[in-house]
Amino acid sequence: MDLMRTMTGITALTLHSTKKLLLSRKLLITVLVAVFVATVMGYAGSQDVDPLPDGTDLMDALILFFFMPVMAMIFGTSLIRDEIDDKSITHVATAPLDRAYSYIGYYIPLVIVVIVSMVIIDTAGFLAFFAQQGLTSEAVELYLEFTALVTIGAFVYSALFLAVSVAFKKPVFIGLFYAFIWEGFIGSLPGAIQKASVKHYLRSLGSRWVDYGDISSLEGVSSLGDSILVLSLMSVILLVLGAYMFRREEIS
Amino acid sequence: MTGSGKRAGPVVVTESLSKWYGEVIGLNNFNLEIKSGITGIVGPNGSGKSTLFKLMLGLIRPNAGDIRVFGEKPWGNSALHSDIGFCPDYESLPLESTGREYLSLVGHLHAMSGSTLSTRIGEVSDLVGMRHALNRKTGGYSKGMKQRMKIAGALIHDPELLILDEPLSGTDPLVRKELIDLTKSLHREHGHDVIVSSHVLFEIERMTHDVALIYKGRAVASGDISEIRDLIDKHPHSIVIEGDGITALAKALLDQDYAVSVTFNEDRNGMTVQISRPDDFFNGLPALIEGVDCSVSSMYSQDNNLEAIFEYLVGRK
Repeated sequence: MDLMRTMTGITALTLHSTKKLLLSRKLLITVLVAVFVATVMGYAGSQDVDPLPDGTDLMDALILFFFMPVMAMIFGTSLIRDEIDDKSITHVATAPLDRAYSYIGYYIPLVIVVIVSMVIIDTAGFLAFFAQQGLTSEAVELYLEFTALVTIGAFVYSALFLAVSVAFKKPVFIGLFYAFIWEGFIGSLPGAIQKASVKHYLRSLGSRWVDYGDISSLEGVSSLGDSILVLSLMSVILLVLGAYMFRREEIS
Repeated sequence: MTGSGKRAGPVVVTESLSKWYGEVIGLNNFNLEIKSGITGIVGPNGSGKSTLFKLMLGLIRPNAGDIRVFGEKPWGNSALHSDIGFCPDYESLPLESTGREYLSLVGHLHAMSGSTLSTRIGEVSDLVGMRHALNRKTGGYSKGMKQRMKIAGALIHDPELLILDEPLSGTDPLVRKELIDLTKSLHREHGHDVIVSSHVLFEIERMTHDVALIYKGRAVASGDISEIRDLIDKHPHSIVIEGDGITALAKALLDQDYAVSVTFNEDRNGMTVQISRPDDFFNGLPALIEGVDCSVSSMYSQDNNLEAIFEYLVGRK
């Protein structure tokens, strides 16, 4: 009975938050980013390029490297904090649902919306480039591989930025620091230090799957098992930590 | 569709309860017992009413002391929310949702579903008079409609206890009357215990005679409102009287035993009279004015607000 009550609550919150995120003005950012990526990749696709390696490098740099953490940050750091700040979280905080479970009802919608956003951006860039260079089976395979990578990335980055949104009063500053400085800079440094970024493990996975471009011949990558283990553990630990903090958060 | 309201013992008990936010004190050594029925919590803005409600709901945790709702500690006790419905004083409705979607969400969060929930949405929307607006987005509701919809949300799971934080705030007189009638019927006809707050004493008086007065984080008085009115009547009220020939009126007033003091303004066209028994003063004043042949152009109370009354009750005046 308690499990049913909990599941009913989580499902209701998931549906409500998903709809709210999908209808929010933040989705306009997704459209703008998709247009930007499509413009850049469309221009590149109109030039004399080697389609598969150059297309792969563009998708790696623009989508996986840069916009993946940025989009997760945009949606993730505001989701719970905005509701706490504008007090619309009251009906959740006064429901007979343990807040640790309510947290799941925020995490799932965030993952869904980040995946939707990244797939839109991924697809826009891919079509803008490869529609000109040829939609070969290799190109479609490349598209699916990057779609898989951003889907995995959505689970990890969502857990990270949702926890940030509960832990800090001004999570967007921490989010900006992490997305641009930590992932963008630390994740690009040579040597073991880059293993302190999510991007390293996503690109390590990508290096096993993708056969073209720089990502296929990265040096110092982690093994497939290590990458999966680190990304999974990181997601679970951040999720548990975030749920614990949300449970202890005072809603004043 | 009735709150059971049949638990033995008090609804809420606080003992030496304190809550502070940094250097700001929300509640200070607060002691109160709230029994079944309708209880009014009255206090000026910032007196600690909302802090008390948040503590009752377990939204914040006490720094010291103890609070029990139905005998249970609220902090970290989400199961207790099955017995409590809360209507906050702030905007909390999801403005992009319709009234029906909002009630459906709240119902689902309380583990309701299917036809039970649909029927209940119909019942509570009828009760608060909002069935006609169920399919409209809450962002387009008037202030009074939002208040009603928030009360409907608080009622959806048929709780024993309803906490209404300033439900009349910002509403026009007609809506106020309807909400006061609704609050009374929630207890009398539907059996809910109701705790309702306001910073306007006479509004609470129209709902209940059981009140607790809060001032600067302390419960300064509680009980039957007539006892508290007696306390207030002992308060030396300050009345300003302005007009021509009021010096003679001042002399006449000083002969009355209810007049404590008279102080003239600088231009001597006005005076401040301190009185101990307002009823005797207001009843006797017309005869005094007529007797001394003066002309009074205006008269008003300097302390016709709760703040002055509370300061008196806590011994600051």
